[in-house]
Amino acid sequence: MIGAAFISEWVKLRRKTLLLSTFLGLAAASSLFVVLIFSNAPAHGSGGGLPSLAQLARPNGLVFGLTRATFLLGVVAFGTAAAQTASEYSLGTLRQLLVRQPRRVTLLAGKMVAVVTFMALATAFAAVVAFLVANVMAASRGVPTSAWFTGTGLGDLLRALGNIELAVIGYSVLGLVIGQFLRSAVGAVIVGFAWLLVIEQFILTRIVPATAPWLPGISLSTIAGGGNADFGLTYGHGLIVAVAYIALAIAAASITFARRDVTA
Amino acid sequence: MTMTQVTRRTGEPPGSTLAVSTAGLTKRFGDRTVVDDVGLAIPRGSVCGFVGPNGAGKTTTIRMLLGLIRPTAGGGSILGGSLAEPASYLPKVGALIESPAFYPQLSGRDNLKALARLGRVPSAAIEPALGRTGMTARAGDKYRSYSLGMKQRLGIAAALLPAPELLILDEPTNGLDPGGIVEMRGLIRSFAGDGITVLVSSHLISEIEQVCDHVVMIRAGRLVHQGPVAELAARRRPDILLAPEHAADLTRLASILEVSGLSVTASPGDGTVVVSASGAGAADLNRLAASGGITLAAITERTHSLEDVFFELTGADPAIGAGQEMGAIG
Repeated sequence: MIGAAFISEWVKLRRKTLLLSTFLGLAAASSLFVVLIFSNAPAHGSGGGLPSLAQLARPNGLVFGLTRATFLLGVVAFGTAAAQTASEYSLGTLRQLLVRQPRRVTLLAGKMVAVVTFMALATAFAAVVAFLVANVMAASRGVPTSAWFTGTGLGDLLRALGNIELAVIGYSVLGLVIGQFLRSAVGAVIVGFAWLLVIEQFILTRIVPATAPWLPGISLSTIAGGGNADFGLTYGHGLIVAVAYIALAIAAASITFARRDVTA
Repeated sequence: MTMTQVTRRTGEPPGSTLAVSTAGLTKRFGDRTVVDDVGLAIPRGSVCGFVGPNGAGKTTTIRMLLGLIRPTAGGGSILGGSLAEPASYLPKVGALIESPAFYPQLSGRDNLKALARLGRVPSAAIEPALGRTGMTARAGDKYRSYSLGMKQRLGIAAALLPAPELLILDEPTNGLDPGGIVEMRGLIRSFAGDGITVLVSSHLISEIEQVCDHVVMIRAGRLVHQGPVAELAARRRPDILLAPEHAADLTRLASILEVSGLSVTASPGDGTVVVSASGAGAADLNRLAASGGITLAAITERTHSLEDVFFELTGADPAIGAGQEMGAIG
């Protein structure tokens, strides 16, 4: 039954405008980071937190740009996912969906899996484009790339890509849940961005800095980066905290969605 | 079937002659009771009009039948399935709820495809549904480019997808031009010809009168009447307007008729006496007037519409109703 909801959701997700704007948007954003990193990288040392050309030539040099772009990818994933649930309320289409699939949790689960798959594919596409751009930029800056394609380099690449995908999936699920709660795409995006960009930072810097290991945004960025040196957080810790948040969010969304009257 | 009989009913078993049966159906939002103790009894195969003013509780009742809103109290049975388990009957139900709602960026056909996939309806059902509603030619266009009439027709096509046994149409003629309304009536009649039970809500009683064989009347959340439309005809005995040749005879004519046990109202403004739905024939009234030495200049019959019956049943004042209390009735 989840399969039917999943396939139905994909009829909507594969529309040309959404497909192109999401896939190309993410690819452009991640490529931009790659271009900026390669263009501004100093020959040696580090300049303004950027890796040097020598560092870019190492086996993990290929993933620098994409890893830096994760937050942007997550923000886009959050907004896109939030719009998918919230728009069902604003368009009034939810009532049509629930007549055809009255098992609400099944409908929500199928939708979540479909949107998460969509965002994961978009991220994978963005990664492929970013890697191609990295090769072009490496050639233009004279960065040797032989180390990228060694066993170590490809292992780093796959690990980084997996972590970024996990983080994007996390942002997508949180977007879906917030969109479902607020029933407004704009409201969900504002709340999500405000939390990630302002509130978490405010908590960290002004209120209780010690909460860093337990904040959802920090946890997702810890997953994306394979750990968080700034706050001394391990990858495993970030993963556990993020999974706990996501599980809690899905449970809360399922309960409210199953019980809420649909008057839209 | 009277309202009392219906409200005592406690849900119909499978195989019942009723497509929809509810008992004590109630919905409260906070302190506000929107639907109050409604007991519906809609026969299978009927085209049932669900009529009441705007805000009477029609849409809330329909949403409860479709599992979109949880009743505060009461229950019932739809096509043999319990109202508490919408999944048991919704695969056999098609619905157009209020205004049609689709994805603007998708074509009409893709919108139906999304719903068909979700309901595990075979793709083969899409083209016949589009054809039935006259939407085949524009099915490839984006929904946002459709006129209101086309949107309504696509809504009906979506409702037809599961080959429904029960079709619930909430205000299907809203916003349609006269041509569209006639077209919609034709469609609804054709569903009845296929043996589909149709529940069609409207705030326009005259519209219901033209397509339905059964009617449910609701006002302020309460059921005021339900039964065959033909049953209402008995309540529609015409008034007869008698105009005496001389206006001075008006009061005396009214007295003569009253003494004969008729319910009359003198209307000096237009010089007539109105004999209310008595069943007395024009000849009888003429004879009574002549026996009092009064010559009648005119005898006119004034037929009651279903709207008049509605107002009579609900005790509402049609003069107020047209603009205020009864909203858009009429």
